[in-house]
Amino acid sequence: MSTAIGGTTREHAVCIDSVDMAFNVGNDDEVQALSSIDLQIEQGEFVSLIGPSGCGKSTMLRLIGDLLTPTSGSVSVFGKPAHDARVDQDYGMVFQHPGLFDWRRVRANIELPLELHDWSKADRTDRSAEMLQLVKLDGFGEYYPRQLSGGMKQRVSIARALSFSPRLLLMDEPFGALDEMTREHMQGELLRIWKETGTTVVFVTHSIPESAFLSNRVVVLSARPGEVNSVIDVNLGERTPDTREDPKFFQTTTEIREALRAVEGAV
Amino acid sequence: MLRMALSVLAALIVIFSLWESYKWMGQQTGDAWPGTSVELPVSTDDIIMPHAVDIVGELFADIRDGRATLPLIVFLAKKAWFTFQEAAIGFFLGSAIGLGLAILMLRWRFAERGLLPWINVSQTIPLIALAPIVVTWGRHQNLPDIASIALISTFLTFFPVAVSALRGLQSPTPEHVELMRSYAAPWWTTLVKLRLPSARPYLFPAFKIAATLSVVGAIVGEISIGTKTGLGRATLEFAQRYAVWPERLYASVIGSAFLGLTVFGLVTLVERRVLRRAEG
Ligand SMILES: Nc1ncnc2c1ncn2[C@@H]1O[C@H](COP(=O)(O)OP(=O)(O)OP(=O)(O)O)[C@@H](O)[C@H]1O
Ligand SMILES: [Mg+2]
Repeated sequence: MSTAIGGTTREHAVCIDSVDMAFNVGNDDEVQALSSIDLQIEQGEFVSLIGPSGCGKSTMLRLIGDLLTPTSGSVSVFGKPAHDARVDQDYGMVFQHPGLFDWRRVRANIELPLELHDWSKADRTDRSAEMLQLVKLDGFGEYYPRQLSGGMKQRVSIARALSFSPRLLLMDEPFGALDEMTREHMQGELLRIWKETGTTVVFVTHSIPESAFLSNRVVVLSARPGEVNSVIDVNLGERTPDTREDPKFFQTTTEIREALRAVEGAV
Repeated sequence: MLRMALSVLAALIVIFSLWESYKWMGQQTGDAWPGTSVELPVSTDDIIMPHAVDIVGELFADIRDGRATLPLIVFLAKKAWFTFQEAAIGFFLGSAIGLGLAILMLRWRFAERGLLPWINVSQTIPLIALAPIVVTWGRHQNLPDIASIALISTFLTFFPVAVSALRGLQSPTPEHVELMRSYAAPWWTTLVKLRLPSARPYLFPAFKIAATLSVVGAIVGEISIGTKTGLGRATLEFAQRYAVWPERLYASVIGSAFLGLTVFGLVTLVERRVLRRAEG
């Protein structure tokens, strides 16, 4: 198993221990979303979750973020129960839908978590300006969300999640709505932030090349109920634009594709 | 503001012309539909329908108010100012109570189940029955009549605010609620940063209804209490002498309508300011 930043003695960033998750238990519409999930993510790792639609990827992120409570099993984050990690604000979440507050300007949306963490006005302004630059939206701070395109909104929501430099980033298909060029740019930026800050990232995606380009490990989930089908180690070293043309890159994407095919075929 | 004033003026002109053409038609045909012997629903003599010009003219005619003599329009404005104060107290008190109840029902589901039916039932209590109870109780507590009237007005205004505010406070999407939860935001913070701002599109229409109702409540309150002053009182007096002086009653109705428009306009102005203001 490859870890980006060493430190094997530290506790895991995320530890999912035989977790089952069912919705509407006992009703006719009961859904078994996840079944006996075991997964450890080390600090500083970049892990992607990939799998067919409806297999429970978003549910898994919500469990890590303590937005859902598992039916059985346990989730710990940085060695504490997920609940404590949420209260300690150890993670930032980028949801599948941007979920901006449409009565707030872009800048104020990015500053929302800072406001809740009692940052001073001056610090907030500095940080939001920095974040706007990062997601290539300088000049849009005073716009309202309704004046932005879908991809721009998603970038605002990424800036919002990054604004308070959380130790763990939970990202649910954050680049799904972006065009190919912006997407590759954002991938590069995300890797840069990840390396600079030593953040741990759990990243949900539908894109095989994206998962290969970004991750240390790719977790392939099967559907109904969601189970960990396989975990693929990615060893591509330092990522550069050339990485995407590296034969080893193709090898990795092929490996992921085959694992996914096996899973989809089983549905 | 100018556009609002212009549209009110335009509406007045339309009503004025419709009124006069109907009256003219009735006068020509002897209160029958033209070319038939079918009677008009409202007869057009000068008691039932005085000339619009006469009604407007009456506004500028003198009237005795105690020892003073002054134009009716000034008389009505003075009375309206009194009624406006009652309505304003009723509006603010009712809105505060309505919002408070909505927050209570939002916080505790059992409060919603327990309170909401009663809030609905409360509005079926006839004002005619409520007014004497409130007044008698108020006089017992040495409250001035203006307070009792304001309470009756409150009783009308709290209702639309409570119902709409609850809907508005419950309007944020699950994603937004989840976002606040991911920040471990306390209930109160979520209320202030998310639920109240989301409720604004629901609140302002309710405030407008409440503003108009507050005037209705104040006027009905004055009439059923038997105060010495106020627009309701003036209307009651003119109503009793309608047969001899119909223009005055119509003039006082115009006064009430104008007061209603004014409070409605005030809320609209505040709404524009609040919605324009950016947050953060
Ligand atoms: N709040 C909920 N109530 C009931 N069922 C739910 C709820 N959330 C998710 N589910 C169910 O759990 C399963 C997994 O949903 P989830 O959103 O985690 O899938 P996903 O892998 O993120 O899918 P996608 O790739 O389409 O986003 C689905 O069958 C879904 O219907
Ligand atoms: Mg999903």
